[in-house]
Amino acid sequence: MHEREALGVKVSTVPTLEVTALERDLATAVGQRNCITDPSGLSTYECDGLTGTRIRPRAVVLPETTEQVAAAVRVARAHGMAVVPRGAGTGLSGGALPVDGCLLVVLSRMTKILTVDLENRRMRVQPGVINLDVTKMIAPHGYYYAPDPSSQSVCTIGGNIAENSGGAHCLKYGFTVNHVVAATVVLADGSVVEIGANAVDPLGYDLIAAVVGSEGMVGIVTEAVVRILRVPELTRTFFATFPSTDEAGACVSAIVSAGIVPAAVEMIDSLAIEAIVKSTGVDWPLDVGAALLMDVDGTKAEVEHTAAAAVEIARNAGAIEIRTPKDAAERLLMWKGRKGAFAAMGRISPNYYVQDGVIPRSQISKVLREIASAGATQGLRVANVFHAGDGNLHPLVLYDARVPGEAHRAEIVAGEILSICLRAGGSITGEHGVGTDKAKYMGKMFTDDDLESMNFVRCTFDPQRAFNPGKVFPTPRLCGDIPGHFHAHPTELAGTAARG
Amino acid sequence: MTTATIRGIAATTTHAPSTLDEAQALLVAAAAAQQTVAFVGGSTELGFGYAPTRVDVLIDTTKLDRVIEYQPADMVVEVEAGVTLAALQAHLAPHGQRLALDAPDPKRATIGGLVSTNAFGPLRARFGSMRDLIVGVSFIRADGARVRGGGKVVKNVAGFDLPKLAVGSLGSLAMIATVTLRLHPLAQAALGVDATLSADDIAKVVRESFRVQLEPAMLVASRQDSGDYRLTAVFEGFDSGAREQRERFLELGRTFDASIRANDDAVAHVAARDYGARCAGDVRVRIAMPPAEFARAERDVVGPLVRAFADVVNDGAEPSQTIAYPSLGIVFVAGTLRHDASADRANIASGRVADAIVAARRAAEVRGGNLVVTHCDDAVVSERVDVYGTLPPSFALMRGLKDRFDPEHRLNPGRFLGKL
Ligand SMILES: Cc1cc2nc3c(=O)[nH]c(=O)nc-3n(C[C@H](O)[C@H](O)[C@H](O)COP(=O)(O)OP(=O)(O)OC[C@H]3O[C@@H](n4cnc5c(N)ncnc54)[C@H](O)[C@@H]3O)c2cc1C
Repeated sequence: MHEREALGVKVSTVPTLEVTALERDLATAVGQRNCITDPSGLSTYECDGLTGTRIRPRAVVLPETTEQVAAAVRVARAHGMAVVPRGAGTGLSGGALPVDGCLLVVLSRMTKILTVDLENRRMRVQPGVINLDVTKMIAPHGYYYAPDPSSQSVCTIGGNIAENSGGAHCLKYGFTVNHVVAATVVLADGSVVEIGANAVDPLGYDLIAAVVGSEGMVGIVTEAVVRILRVPELTRTFFATFPSTDEAGACVSAIVSAGIVPAAVEMIDSLAIEAIVKSTGVDWPLDVGAALLMDVDGTKAEVEHTAAAAVEIARNAGAIEIRTPKDAAERLLMWKGRKGAFAAMGRISPNYYVQDGVIPRSQISKVLREIASAGATQGLRVANVFHAGDGNLHPLVLYDARVPGEAHRAEIVAGEILSICLRAGGSITGEHGVGTDKAKYMGKMFTDDDLESMNFVRCTFDPQRAFNPGKVFPTPRLCGDIPGHFHAHPTELAGTAARG
Repeated sequence: MTTATIRGIAATTTHAPSTLDEAQALLVAAAAAQQTVAFVGGSTELGFGYAPTRVDVLIDTTKLDRVIEYQPADMVVEVEAGVTLAALQAHLAPHGQRLALDAPDPKRATIGGLVSTNAFGPLRARFGSMRDLIVGVSFIRADGARVRGGGKVVKNVAGFDLPKLAVGSLGSLAMIATVTLRLHPLAQAALGVDATLSADDIAKVVRESFRVQLEPAMLVASRQDSGDYRLTAVFEGFDSGAREQRERFLELGRTFDASIRANDDAVAHVAARDYGARCAGDVRVRIAMPPAEFARAERDVVGPLVRAFADVVNDGAEPSQTIAYPSLGIVFVAGTLRHDASADRANIASGRVADAIVAARRAAEVRGGNLVVTHCDDAVVSERVDVYGTLPPSFALMRGLKDRFDPEHRLNPGRFLGKL
């Protein structure tokens, strides 16, 4: 049965007349040129980066202003439609996957950088601004925006906020939630609210933390104030190869226990190296078990000390070869290799399934072995390229969808990987989000009461559950008027309410 | 056991559970009996917030003082809420690690209390506040349910961010039972510099140090009677790195103050001054403004307030202490009102200070900031000056959160923003 029936709104087959009324209302809200309702136009938006599942939205709008977003949300409400926000659609967990009959609000036309305040180290931007464009804008002044997802040249700030995105350099500098200080949010009733503040420590509860990482379930961010940082004086990069992931993992632990906080430490295993070499042409050796790509940054003398110490530690940990880039161009190439890793997988496998589990750093070697054997049990290979410094794995389960049963077996391995991470005391997702993809695993990490508490946050913002219903939560969650200790809603017991 | 009153409101009963199960039983019983519940840790910030409307049950967390899990290799620790900051640091130091948070009064301040007030100290310049260090939390909710959010790994986006909701919530959403924190290595060296500068020059030095890519771990300035500030910068890191940064800062500062000098005891001095301006005095405020406004803040906000305190004390006693975190835009002012004069004169004095706080708050709010009265023992000031000032536009959402987590408003009732 349908989510929207739980909302008391009945929709299933859509008569043509009603579509016309909807089209007219949406055109009034955002302008005709910002509406898409024809099937071929809609098909572009059937999925996000999780391409395996496709659902056609009922309509798509691409608003250009906060007022247009609010107007579109009001139209959706009047027509009893769920609303799914979308940025660039690069999300890997189905966060921007349409839900049946929804209005998809695409923020990619809201690309204005509104203010740049170097003195207070703040920028106010619209949500459709591409992550890397924030840094490009201020780079000439020696500033940058720290969160750096590998998809940074295409993903949007709005999507980053919704997913609390991270990146290689978040090890030292923190995640999106540490770099957003204020936001304008359109709520489900079409009202617009300002949260947070330019100054530190705004009064009251931390609503920024409620919105960042909310996966599009509390509202639509239409403006955000982000912190920007001064570029460090010096960055030293090195690339070290090891006989296996065991030595590479031990090297990471040794560096950290020496009191060094690297800006980034990425691990790349032999399969991933092979794919990257084939697709980008970097001259990394193919006969090694693993490599580490590492940055240390900061002031000059400090970095020189830590870089030398880290190289020494890598050598003692059994590094086969240690390379340092001879110039900025070579450094960039090394990072390009790392950031292009997912895209490179096509060179070694027709399909892959990426996981995003997190484990305590000290268990990297052990967990990687368990993952390899989970793959072997199903006759599949698993490549690894990940944020080793904070234990955020990205196992890529390689499979061929043309071989009957392989996709299914890949999913089994992916599920087993999450169980391995949880057994190690970790998390099912470090940066890609839960979305639709991992909702069913949330119950393995959290109890019903935990999830109910999270649902309090969601229901505070969106009591009608109009935004992105069906994501994140594994079982039906309604928004009771008087929340008390958890009682199953009658519709849930009857099995009529969908998860949401 | 610690004090059994909060801002003059006496608790009917006080309990100091020594296990989380006992604490849970207390909350379950209070829920059944419809009793109000408040929490107290080290009693260092009890003056913060409005007086609670009623306290049937006061839960003292100081016996919940276990370190639950500490894996040095993962640089994460999980503790019960009543562990003091000093006890935690002592536990971590042998492994060369620390919680990079130097809030005042570490021997008394508990981790639960530090979370509920989003605490910080001078190291915030480099490492942020409690908000930036917390990775997991467990609550005991108003209905007695034990729940968890976040986890014990530093990176985790599974579900809504309950740990950060706990931060700054002042015990109004749920009891904070356990906290998981991200750790940092102890610095090999921490080297300081002292200079005396006008507020204008402080702003310039701060800007310049950013421009030349210095990375101070601390940057604090205490106000002198003259209106100048004594700026202390501390550089942390490995020996050679800290030393190089200090040399460069000395050079940079010399253009502004020829008497600028190295101070090897800077960390201890900073802690003492931080304590003085934040934990002493009977009226204390915290002002937040965009950092670039620092020079103007001195002129329009801090200066007038400090003079109001000075005007009411005539015998040379130190009327107030001020410490600023100029790179962050935070200023603390703590003052003492001497009430040995006649009641009338005392009232007039308090009234003047109250007016000055209200004016300072207006100036801070106009610039996008706020002024919070973090402690007030003066009846006149309490009556005339609100704790928080103008409610934020998102207050309805905050009320919604309170209604969902604590639908009967039994936890710390009336204490939080908007008297939630
Ligand atoms: C090759 C590749 C590499 C990647 N590497 C990383 C990485 O290193 N680190 C990382 O964290 N992620 C990574 N990702 C995942 C993805 O890029 C991020 O999750 C990104 O933040 C998504 O941004 P987007 O604009 O594409 O958002 P979308 O995919 O369009 O949407 C993501 C979520 O945000 C919501 N949303 C979008 N805009 C708004 C808004 N304005 N208001 C409210 N909700 C909104 C959507 O509803 C959805 O739930 C990678 C993806 C790919 C394809």
